[in-house]
Amino acid sequence: MAGVVLQKAPARDRPADPLPSSSRRWSRYSGRTFYLFVSPWVVGFLLLTAVPLGYAFAMSLTNFDGSSSLWRWVGFDNYVELLQDSDAWASLARTVAYTAIVVPLSVAFSLGLAVLLNRRLRAVGLFRTIFFLPSVVPVVATAIMWKLVFNRDSGLVNAILERFGVGAVTWLVDPAAFYALIILTLWGLGTGMIIMLAALQGVPVELEEAAVVDGASRWRVFRHVTVPMISPVIFFQVVTGVITSFQVLVQPMLLAETNSIGAMKDVPTSTHLYMVQVYQEYFANQRFGYGSAMLWVFFVIILVITLLVQRSSRLWVYYEVDRESD
Amino acid sequence: MKATDRAAAGRSYVLLMLLAVLFAGPFLWLVLAALKTLVEWVAVPIHFLPEAPQWNNFTDAVTQINFLAYTGNSLFLSGMYAVLVTLSSALVGFGFARLKGRGKRPLFVVLLATMMLPSILTLIPTYVLFSRVGLVGTYWPWVLWGLAASPYLVFLFRQFFAAIPRDLEDAAIIDGCGYGRIFWRIFLPLSRPVVLTSLLLSFTWMWGDYLAPALLLDIDHTTLSVAITQSYRNPHGDYIPTVQAAAAALYVVPVMVIFLFAQRYFVRSVATSGLKG
Repeated sequence: MAGVVLQKAPARDRPADPLPSSSRRWSRYSGRTFYLFVSPWVVGFLLLTAVPLGYAFAMSLTNFDGSSSLWRWVGFDNYVELLQDSDAWASLARTVAYTAIVVPLSVAFSLGLAVLLNRRLRAVGLFRTIFFLPSVVPVVATAIMWKLVFNRDSGLVNAILERFGVGAVTWLVDPAAFYALIILTLWGLGTGMIIMLAALQGVPVELEEAAVVDGASRWRVFRHVTVPMISPVIFFQVVTGVITSFQVLVQPMLLAETNSIGAMKDVPTSTHLYMVQVYQEYFANQRFGYGSAMLWVFFVIILVITLLVQRSSRLWVYYEVDRESD
Repeated sequence: MKATDRAAAGRSYVLLMLLAVLFAGPFLWLVLAALKTLVEWVAVPIHFLPEAPQWNNFTDAVTQINFLAYTGNSLFLSGMYAVLVTLSSALVGFGFARLKGRGKRPLFVVLLATMMLPSILTLIPTYVLFSRVGLVGTYWPWVLWGLAASPYLVFLFRQFFAAIPRDLEDAAIIDGCGYGRIFWRIFLPLSRPVVLTSLLLSFTWMWGDYLAPALLLDIDHTTLSVAITQSYRNPHGDYIPTVQAAAAALYVVPVMVIFLFAQRYFVRSVATSGLKG
């Protein structure tokens, strides 16, 4: 804010103040009002995001068990233990695998659906509604639905597979539970599809038409005109997709017919993702300190991913114009 | 040319129909399960359609648990949160869009960054903190979350307010209006579509939330989302799938109705936030 001072200093030497005093008072009033207006979020952010994060870090340096007062500081012991914790590493590896499958598929499928819906066809709105709807269905209902669909003896999927002569698959236990979770996730790609559709509709028609006039095939127009034009949106979808899939917890929990919060033992190994492991450390093993250390590692991973992707984006994302500042 | 166009359209329709069946399948199976008897549900080979629709699954769903009370809890929490968070987010959005102040830009960067921050990261530590100060088992956490504004909704409001021409507020300032009145009398009424979007979105978020009520509320004061996952069992402790399906179907009805009548608001909010990445 040095700029403000530099600008104001010479003004004092001049005979006539360029700013009438009432206007200056107004700008001071406006500045104070800004803080007043944004204070709900600033205070909320400090109390409900920054403080809990800091508290989690403090907990991660203790052996707190969630209730007893007999805890003590253990330094970075939890983090050291985490490095050698094969269960935690395995859950992280599963989460990476899940992300590596889900993100490209959902980005590709939502783009594909958006392309289909972007054609001038009749009743396209109806199809858009059908594809969009699952993404607003509450997770509890989603899980109940898919448990019915994936039921071994009475489920829709096995009923259809049977028609093709495939024997009954036990979907909700290992190893199939992993794929069931992926299918459930992909079912909710409607939000991404709507974003892609909006992006496609933002591509100037003249650009694509010009390419067609030049004799480019439909695929080439799509590949070399449309995709580059919407690459910032695709990029954004990848980043948010990665972050979303890293935090998956409720879906495996509910698919596994977990009876109560804390009873994580019913979650099949193949869907025992990182957050499930964190949850288990907190509430099943009563290791609040260790769970907090795992949360912080997760936080750092999310930060690093976001930064890395942001840095590398310049290499492969095409921005039509400089993004507007402020 | 015409003929190939029509063939292409035909192929698109076949593909769209197939996909529609895939996306609608789970809904259909839920409703069918809710209308079957238990015997029909477990029958081998699978019965696709119930012999006669079993409406009593729905009556069982609302009588086996205190369905009405849980619905009331969900409505109260979601409604209260929606009103509070819409107001607070509109205020903050107005601040970022129309007012100047030191550190505005870094603050906005922090706001955008927190949009990316998974809420689950803070939920468990928040739960521990709240249990220390006696807020677990009360509805106060939702009041606080409501008052704290949602970065996503702030962004939505900010985009809308930033596009409104300056003349409007200049005229009001000349007339002696302070920013409080400008916000309340001019900008908030103008942003009615965004207010509606925000109310609908935040209501459906909270209606659908599972983890926070599961962690923070006991079974008597919890929401419908938690209640239907933990109830509907036979004396052996196994789920009664047909009744649970009926309960889940009832539970999604409000969301479906909101969505079907206000789809364009959902579409617009998603498109605004997604395209500005």
